Amino acid sequence: MTVTHDVPARSEVASAAPERAPARRNRQLAAWAFLAPIVVYLFAFYAYPLYRNLDLSLRNYTVRSFVRGDAPFSGLANYTKVFHDPTFGPALLHTVVFTGVSLVFQFSIGMALAVFFAQSFRLSATLRALFLVPWLLPLIVSASTWSWLLNSDSGVVNAALHAAGVEPVNWLTSPQWALTSVIIANIWIGIPFNLVVLYSGLRAVPAEIYEAAALDGATGWATFRRITFPLLRPVSAITLLLGLVYTLKVFDIIWIMTKGGPTDASTTFATWSYRLSFGNLLPAFGPGAAVGNLLIIMALIFGLLYIRIQRRQQP
Amino acid sequence: MIRPLKTAIGVLLTAVMLFPVYWMINVSFTRDTDMRASPPHLFPVHGTLEGYRAVLDQQLPYLGTSLIVGLGTVLLTVALSAPAGYSLAKLRPRGGGVLSFVLLIAQMIPGIIMAMGFYATYLKLGVLNSTAGLILADSTIAVPFGVLIFTAFMSGIPGELLAAAVVDGAGPLRTFWSVVLPVSRNAVVTVSLFAFLWAWSDFVFATTLDGGGAHQPITLGIYHYIGNNNQQWNAIMATAVIASIPATLLLIVAQRYVAAGVTAGAVKD
Amino acid sequence: MKLSRQALGAVAALTVAACLSTACSNDDNSGSSDAAGGTYTIWDPYPQFDDSSDWVKLLQKCGTDAGVTVKRTGYDTTDLTNKALLAAQQSNSPDVLIVDNPVVSTLAEAGVLTSTDETKLDTSAVEPNLLAAGQSGGKTYGVPIGANTLALYYNKKVLDAAKVDPAAIKDWASLTAALAKVTAAGKKGITFSAIGTEEGSFQFLPWFWGSGAQLTQLDSPQAVSALTLWTDWLKQKYAPNSVLNNTQTTSWQEFATGDYAFAENGTWQLANAQKAGFAYGIIAIPSSAGGTAPAPTGGEFVTAPVQSDTKRYPASTKLISCLTSADNAYTTDTTLSYIAATDAVQAKQVAATPDLKVWVDAVKAAKGRTSDDLGTKYPKISEPLWTAFQAALSGSKSPQDALAAAQSTAAAATR
Repeated sequence: MTVTHDVPARSEVASAAPERAPARRNRQLAAWAFLAPIVVYLFAFYAYPLYRNLDLSLRNYTVRSFVRGDAPFSGLANYTKVFHDPTFGPALLHTVVFTGVSLVFQFSIGMALAVFFAQSFRLSATLRALFLVPWLLPLIVSASTWSWLLNSDSGVVNAALHAAGVEPVNWLTSPQWALTSVIIANIWIGIPFNLVVLYSGLRAVPAEIYEAAALDGATGWATFRRITFPLLRPVSAITLLLGLVYTLKVFDIIWIMTKGGPTDASTTFATWSYRLSFGNLLPAFGPGAAVGNLLIIMALIFGLLYIRIQRRQQP
Repeated sequence: MIRPLKTAIGVLLTAVMLFPVYWMINVSFTRDTDMRASPPHLFPVHGTLEGYRAVLDQQLPYLGTSLIVGLGTVLLTVALSAPAGYSLAKLRPRGGGVLSFVLLIAQMIPGIIMAMGFYATYLKLGVLNSTAGLILADSTIAVPFGVLIFTAFMSGIPGELLAAAVVDGAGPLRTFWSVVLPVSRNAVVTVSLFAFLWAWSDFVFATTLDGGGAHQPITLGIYHYIGNNNQQWNAIMATAVIASIPATLLLIVAQRYVAAGVTAGAVKD
Repeated sequence: MKLSRQALGAVAALTVAACLSTACSNDDNSGSSDAAGGTYTIWDPYPQFDDSSDWVKLLQKCGTDAGVTVKRTGYDTTDLTNKALLAAQQSNSPDVLIVDNPVVSTLAEAGVLTSTDETKLDTSAVEPNLLAAGQSGGKTYGVPIGANTLALYYNKKVLDAAKVDPAAIKDWASLTAALAKVTAAGKKGITFSAIGTEEGSFQFLPWFWGSGAQLTQLDSPQAVSALTLWTDWLKQKYAPNSVLNNTQTTSWQEFATGDYAFAENGTWQLANAQKAGFAYGIIAIPSSAGGTAPAPTGGEFVTAPVQSDTKRYPASTKLISCLTSADNAYTTDTTLSYIAATDAVQAKQVAATPDLKVWVDAVKAAKGRTSDDLGTKYPKISEPLWTAFQAALSGSKSPQDALAAAQSTAAAATR
């Protein structure tokens, strides 16, 4: 699967007659005509918010100048402030850990489930659909439900641990466990997406390949490792990349469950940005926007990495 | 492994995954005084229907609006992303790679920043607090992803199919409408599903751009039960339960189509 | 194949039809009869009240009396400040804005609100300690709609079983002793909210002020003693670990299970207390040395944001005066379970419900968070404060270190 579509399939180029200039120009025109709506759309809807966010981060905003619109340009002062803030280190670390661990588990569990559900058995379609239910719930509901499950005193998880004779854990209120708890909730919410995309990728693998492998004597795990997984590499790559982009943006879950606490134990860049701009009584839009932009830059770096890996994999 | 065993394992896995959803249903039937019972009740022993009564009394218009917004978002998303996907996959425009990259970046912008940016524009255009405006905003969540899916899928459409259409005298538009779209049914359903789900559960755009509107989606309707000093948790959970039902039904129906072919072409090269 | 096109077509038609029937476009021009004076927008933080509630009916009535049509929207209270700022930036402010009292000075500083000089609102009858939260730089920026504050609810059954006399609890030592007795008798001690938001600070302030500490010096020995009180309770298991994440609602839910002896909560829980199913009582929060601790004032202010068309102010003023008039204030405050902001209406409330006397006394002794001319400094002090007690209660820092860190952050931010 090519995501960067500037490399045409060899067969198509070979079979078409060599194009003359006017035909090629016509085709380019047609191509861009089809793209016109999306280009206008992109410009109208994404350019302005991005510009606004950049502007917010490069000026010194107080609530007064936010309302008036006359904030003085302050260059990279907000970024410097953010770098020197004691929350920066922990937030960066937590963002990396949160995203990395979430992705690994979401992907593996999604993949395992996709492989499992790829076999058809009774109820497999219905069960697969039910797996998407977590996605339907408004985040305030899923995050709140997880908060209840993990409550130190009245949560069912601690009740179960108590019944099993294990010491109850302060899931959401201890600095050691807060990040783990939000990661668990995030993995839960991310599994449906991985399941759907990986499952579709699996279904696209022709049955003949599996038959050939079976004829050669390959079994379960070997089939998966040598055949299924390599064939799924393009799908996996795009799933991981999108998963990364979406996970970096996650803040509702963390905010509702722990508010980024206690004392920054579960603060990531996304929650920190929100806390600075909206999460307290005195909004600090400048630093909040700066942190938001840092997040976009992080995602950008991975996006570029992905494109580079894609290019290198092209024959 | 024999089939009934697989079904049993499947049911077990689903049950584990959906346990929090069960808990949500449990809370929706719980009385206020039992909310923080320690140890918690696994089953709402002294159940109450007051949450559901409140929801059925008040939330149905919100559900209706959510439905309209969801469907509108689906239409808009497909209308915008399908032609773009076709162009990027089959018509090979120069600079297509740049556009793909821009679409990737577009997904990285946090929702709250988008919402704040839209607020000013919407106000000037007079579409603040309107359903149409919300549909437009919610589509920004799904469109880049939609283009990605359509591109991936349409790359796998055999060239011969399109060549045949050209031979029959069809121009690019006709080819798109009569040949490409019907064949891309699975991609359309997948994109529609994602667009609907994202629009259904959106909160940020709803609160910033439709906070004062006469028609609000269910994610705002829930705030009825989140007062300034008191929260009615059984009603909040009941709202979520009732809101999930139509969406779940849609999911089960659409699952069949999401199956094969979304990433067709993945293994062909 | 035809299915997809037909399906798409059907969905399109449905959506268009639905849109047309429900008016997808801007809903501001409702088409119903506009009163002569035009449409005035009111924003309040009570999303729990919908159009059929008494509160909205009151707003409509005040609108009719003032000769205008009222369009009201309820928002989540934590969101309202940002919405107000965003709207003001785009010159889209509502005509009347009802906000939580600690943000009034922030909005005033931002230039979003008019002062009573411009709107000619009469605030002479309002209790000074309640009005102080809305004053900064010598000007008043709104009128309180009512006030609420904190006290200790207790469960009579639990206390009787542990042989504790609530009337004997006058200072911290006696309170802690009572908690020890209750825990020894097998029940749970006290629950409150120590969450890392303004709600947590709100709950901590009675103990903070009750120790004699001031917000301008967060690491004074008195302040440390207040925080130590809380951390000791947690260590001795007199208070549950969940206080770190409790909102005032979830703290109340813990109390409502009937297992707890005490709950620190506010006036607005009175209606819930009556539904609790067990006999309850209320005592004032004690200070460390004895007597009632000053508790912070909660409750919203009714304000008039700046408009580009100053001719709108007279009608806005009429709306606000109507909302805060004696009779209307009485009804509203009874609905919200608040205490009125004026002496006359407070007397009326006590006359109707003698049990409210405890609360009226508490409100009279209460203090605004932004008073003492702290104004917009308060948010910069409140956040380090809640970070401090979160750190101490979760065990990451000692109370002394936590408050020292908080003081340096607050001092740097308010320099």
